[in-house]
Amino acid sequence: MRILFILILLFPLSKLHAQAANVLLNKVVAKMMSVKDYSANADVTADIPMIKILPSKAKIYFKQKDKFKVEAKGIVILPKQGFTDVNSFISNSKNYQAILGDTTVVNSAKSVLTTVIPNGESSEIILAKLWIDYTRNVVMKTQITTKSNGTVTTTYTYGDKVSYGLPSKMVFEIDVKKFKLPKSVAADINNTDNKSKKDTRKKGTITVSLSNYSVNQGLSDALFVK
Amino acid sequence: MNNEVIVSVEGLSKKFGTFEAVKDVSFTVNRGDVFGFLGPNGAGKSTTIRCLLSLIAPDQGKVSLFGKSFQTNRREILANVGSIIEKPDFYRYLSAEKNLEIFARISGAEVSKKEIQEMLDFVGLGDRGKHKVKGFSHGMKQRLGIAQTLLHKPDLIILDEPTTGLDPQGIVEVRNLILRLKNEQNKTIILSSHQLAEIELISNRMVIINQGRTLVEGRVDELLNAQELVVRFEVDRLAEATSLLSSAHATSEISIISEKEFDVTMEQHQIPIVNKLFVENGINVTAIEPKRKLEDYFLKTIQS
Amino acid sequence: MLLKNTYNEFVKILSKPRSYLGVGALTLLIGIIIFAMKVDGKSIISFLTSSFEQTLTFNGHVLNGNLIAFIILQMLIVHVPLLVALVTGDLISGEAAMGTIRMLATKPISRTQIVLSKFIAGALYTLFLTFWLGILALGVSRMIFGTGDLIVLNSDGLVILQDADILWRYGAGFAVAYLSLLTVSSLSICLSAFAENSIGPIVATMAIIILFTIIGTLDVTVFDSVKPFLFTTHMAAWRSFFEDPVSFDNIRESIVILLAHNVVFVALSVFAFNRKDITS
Repeated sequence: MRILFILILLFPLSKLHAQAANVLLNKVVAKMMSVKDYSANADVTADIPMIKILPSKAKIYFKQKDKFKVEAKGIVILPKQGFTDVNSFISNSKNYQAILGDTTVVNSAKSVLTTVIPNGESSEIILAKLWIDYTRNVVMKTQITTKSNGTVTTTYTYGDKVSYGLPSKMVFEIDVKKFKLPKSVAADINNTDNKSKKDTRKKGTITVSLSNYSVNQGLSDALFVK
Repeated sequence: MNNEVIVSVEGLSKKFGTFEAVKDVSFTVNRGDVFGFLGPNGAGKSTTIRCLLSLIAPDQGKVSLFGKSFQTNRREILANVGSIIEKPDFYRYLSAEKNLEIFARISGAEVSKKEIQEMLDFVGLGDRGKHKVKGFSHGMKQRLGIAQTLLHKPDLIILDEPTTGLDPQGIVEVRNLILRLKNEQNKTIILSSHQLAEIELISNRMVIINQGRTLVEGRVDELLNAQELVVRFEVDRLAEATSLLSSAHATSEISIISEKEFDVTMEQHQIPIVNKLFVENGINVTAIEPKRKLEDYFLKTIQS
Repeated sequence: MLLKNTYNEFVKILSKPRSYLGVGALTLLIGIIIFAMKVDGKSIISFLTSSFEQTLTFNGHVLNGNLIAFIILQMLIVHVPLLVALVTGDLISGEAAMGTIRMLATKPISRTQIVLSKFIAGALYTLFLTFWLGILALGVSRMIFGTGDLIVLNSDGLVILQDADILWRYGAGFAVAYLSLLTVSSLSICLSAFAENSIGPIVATMAIIILFTIIGTLDVTVFDSVKPFLFTTHMAAWRSFFEDPVSFDNIRESIVILLAHNVVFVALSVFAFNRKDITS
């Protein structure tokens, strides 16, 4: 009887929370949608177990809704998720149900946790947690769990393009426990030495610092043709 | 010719495993000699000659060339020696001229291209210089081999079985070349062969070896008395013939070969007289085969 | 006299058809690999990055000349020793088989110099082959595929080396690879000093390389004390230049062991050839 009472009380409260979450997400999406396209310079630093790479430079291009391109002279490693898929996922509110959670401080900004659960089973994303700065309506942190790639946590820092919701820095924390190396075609002479030095960390980070944004310059579709 | 000793071999012995190829061989070669080194196949000639050229290290004995030993003067000695061992082998994929250039470069003497051409002319290969050796006949290779031995103008030339495998014309060609070396260039030549006729035709001194041992050494003309022959008679009544011959000639050198054959030593002019004697006494002579004494000696010694 | 005979040896090598067989085979093999990469290079990239692809994307000019050169080197370093041995294994025994060794040994040149000149000529041929490998693998690949950062798959993960940081690694890598091939050359010449036919030392060289490689690969403790001293263990030392950081201590050790092998092979050949009775 007591439990039933609590449930009756909670039901309208949770519905209220869901509506507030959708409103907040809509504001974030609206900000994102104000950017039709952009290009920016990216400085990428990767610290990933089993991968050694020096900081690299790239130029990134984006065009709504999900066109994305990286141009680099050298090799640039980026997470597979994080740039476009979250945006496209939350841009259609029919796809998910959102619930507001606790308020915490992320990167010195008061943010509210918004948990987003997809409606169907077809979505690659199983669960998305977004910490949203509700004063600036920008995402400060995301934690996306997908079917095949584990969990990627991204922390955002904003600079002069905060009005477009474009970050100046993104730090991706990726799950690396699935990494397995194929047997090399050549015998590795220092095999025994390497065993002792093997990196056993389970997480890696990729830091992307973005600068020199050009927003809404009217990038042509041809630019994104591979 | 003088008595300056160019090659001296003393007590030379060499074993290959348990096989004694050469046992206590000794001889000397003087300047200007055409020295015959005679022996049947497998007698130890090649082993001895290889020891003379430091190709094989002897187990015992002393070898000196030009009064020097290989231990201390190998380079100096070999710079003054030209040789063909068994058969002249060349780089088949190179031309005759290139082959000579290769050997000239390490011969210890400066040999010009002109001299190489002259040498090819000398051995009768003047127009074949640019041809690859793989197309050469054995005789041509042999002549090229001789050209190779002469490139650096050595004092001593060692030719091991230089006529082996040659056709009759090739044998004559090589023999003539050796004679020209002797007559025109006054070289000291060591000539190994298993054919007495060859040695007899060219050499002034010789040594005969068999089963690795020295059998005889000396001047060819002394060893070979040109007048004395060993004559083989084939008759129908052997006992009567030998008895008749013994009483008539008082010779002690009669060897019975078979029921109808015997050998006897005599001078050439005596052969018709003996034949007439047999016929007059009713003995039928079916064959007379004269052989030089040295040849007989050579055959006998190697058979023994 | 050493120089003159080395020149002779080089003339002989240049005149032998089999010397060009190695160069031709190398050219053909590299040509085939470059063609395959041009047609289906992406599958190789997938092989390198497959385990990371679900999480990460590799952007930029990944399939470049530097990567192709590395792949070529990895593939061919197993076969080039055969091409080296094909020529060097014949240097002494080939002369014995042909009979020309008699002619050489009766010339006023010491047997030590004969052997050394063959080693020098063998080393020069190997150097030429290594250069040719370098020109084709690196030069032609860079010409066709352009340059770029290099992804190397090591046993402990991927290393991505920057374009500007690669050429010196290739230079040093080729130098050490040359030392490895030189060891093969020395081994085959050494075996050649004991043989009197052409094919024996070539086959024996390859047999030794295969045997030592198997011993080196077997994870059996009984061989652990031997493995570090087998030259085959150090034949992939060139690869260490493509690690980050470069393990100079390991490379130094490999160089010392390879050099020691060369010295032993040369000394053994000189000793054997000087004592050898030439009966061919």
